[in-house]
Amino acid sequence: MTEAVGTKANPIAFDHESPQHAENWVPEFAEMRSKCPVAWTDKHEGYWVATGYEAVVEAAREPRLFSSHKNFSPETASGHGGITIPFTPIPRGLPVESDPPEWGVMRGFINRRFVPKAVETFREDARMFATALLNRVIESGEMDLVNDFTGPVPAMVTMQLMGLPLSEWRQFADPLHAMVFTPKEADNYAEVVAGVQWVFQRCAEEYMRYCTLPEEDNLLSYFAHNEARGGNKLTLDEVLSFSNNIIIGGVDTTTALTTHGLTYLHDHPEEKKRLMDNPELLPFAREEFLRFYTPIHGLARNVTEETELCGAKLNKGDRIYLAWSSANRDPGVFEDPDTINFDRESNRHVAFGSGIHRCIGSTFARMMFEEMVAQVFARIPDFTIDYAKAHRYPSIGTINGWESMPIRFAPGPKVPCALEL
Amino acid sequence: MKVTIDPDRCVGQGMCVLYAPKVFQLGDEDGRAELLVAQIPPEQEDAVIQAERACPEQAITIIREKGSIVP
Ligand code: HEM
Repeated sequence: MTEAVGTKANPIAFDHESPQHAENWVPEFAEMRSKCPVAWTDKHEGYWVATGYEAVVEAAREPRLFSSHKNFSPETASGHGGITIPFTPIPRGLPVESDPPEWGVMRGFINRRFVPKAVETFREDARMFATALLNRVIESGEMDLVNDFTGPVPAMVTMQLMGLPLSEWRQFADPLHAMVFTPKEADNYAEVVAGVQWVFQRCAEEYMRYCTLPEEDNLLSYFAHNEARGGNKLTLDEVLSFSNNIIIGGVDTTTALTTHGLTYLHDHPEEKKRLMDNPELLPFAREEFLRFYTPIHGLARNVTEETELCGAKLNKGDRIYLAWSSANRDPGVFEDPDTINFDRESNRHVAFGSGIHRCIGSTFARMMFEEMVAQVFARIPDFTIDYAKAHRYPSIGTINGWESMPIRFAPGPKVPCALEL
Repeated sequence: MKVTIDPDRCVGQGMCVLYAPKVFQLGDEDGRAELLVAQIPPEQEDAVIQAERACPEQAITIIREKGSIVP
């Protein structure tokens, strides 16, 4: 007798990092959801893949059984656990790669800086960055949407939030962007890793500088002056782990969301017109883009004891990939899931995750998306995309986004702006 | 109609605020949902039903009362 498909004895052929998956993920996930919503693949030393909405959400809500914790030794550049498959050889992110009770302490320490009231204080800055970035290119009638606009705006807002010098945005954004899609075998991989290390080094330097100054209104200074738990400040490693999570979490994901959304509006001018005429629909469109494009395609957990998930038997030590993107296309939850519908009722998407680790930065992401799209609508509404020269990420297993995207538009005037770039 | 939010389930997804901004908001301390009203006005009931269905955490419970216009 042959074992059921998708068990360890009879694995499926699946690799979320493969170019085939990037090309074919929608039908591939549809088939997996209907045949085996939790299936085993032998790739990357073996892991489960959860594709059904129920399976993904159930695992995400049980951090005791599905751990996010990561061990990393800088000496050997090795370790295990964490939320990426394959393992990423950089220090863990905080709070994302921790479990309760540590998670509660870490998340509680920064929560207040990410609530709507706090995020609103960054809206003016986001608008100014978006305005200044368009001023740079508006007279020329062309730009790279990703590298000149949807990339820099979140990078600059995130740097402002952290307390990093804005002038270095390009050096920060580029390696973090490249880290997401550069395969380990690539010629420039070592260079990309070095670039990421430089980012952390700058965070460390700025943190130390803030330790010597009175408290300022940014995260690194907050870390320098406040106690995270019972009379203790964060260690430098912890400061860097927070920086890692917030910078990587904030920089590339919002870029991907906005770029994807703008491709849809470009390809569907009648939908673009509808949004321009009815700005109150923009938040609903945004949530539908989050569902449909799901910038964080999927993330991993580590099974802590033998358990069952939607019929699959998981062992202690197994790794599992939770495909948010697939959950968001589950026809059992979303009617007509492969169609974008701004009028969708009760959009229960999990693009920001589910359970305790659910995105802390979503209010920032939502605000930045609004400000970027508003600038596009106001100043370059008739932009055209040169798809022949645009590049998607070759692998979308962690972040599903665009590397670059040349666009053209009717040249226009610069507008007054406090920032000149 | 009344609603309750389960604080152990709510993680601040914010979908309730999108569908029923007159009833829900995200709090200033931890970003979780809070109620703006104790009793749901009849004209907000449809929005609240949408919000309840849109919560990925299933953190919202609707308590229907006599005289409520929705079943
Ligand atoms: C469209 C944009 C974004 C998407 C799709 C997104 C998605 C996600 C997802 C799926 C998680 C859950 C991780 C897990 O379950 O392991 C998460 C967590 C997180 N995100 Fe985001 N995110 C976005 C924007 C941001 C921004 C702008 C920031 C920071 C300013 C941010 C910071 C974080 C942090 C710190 C966590 C970890 C929270 C925890 O572990 O408690 N994200 N995000």
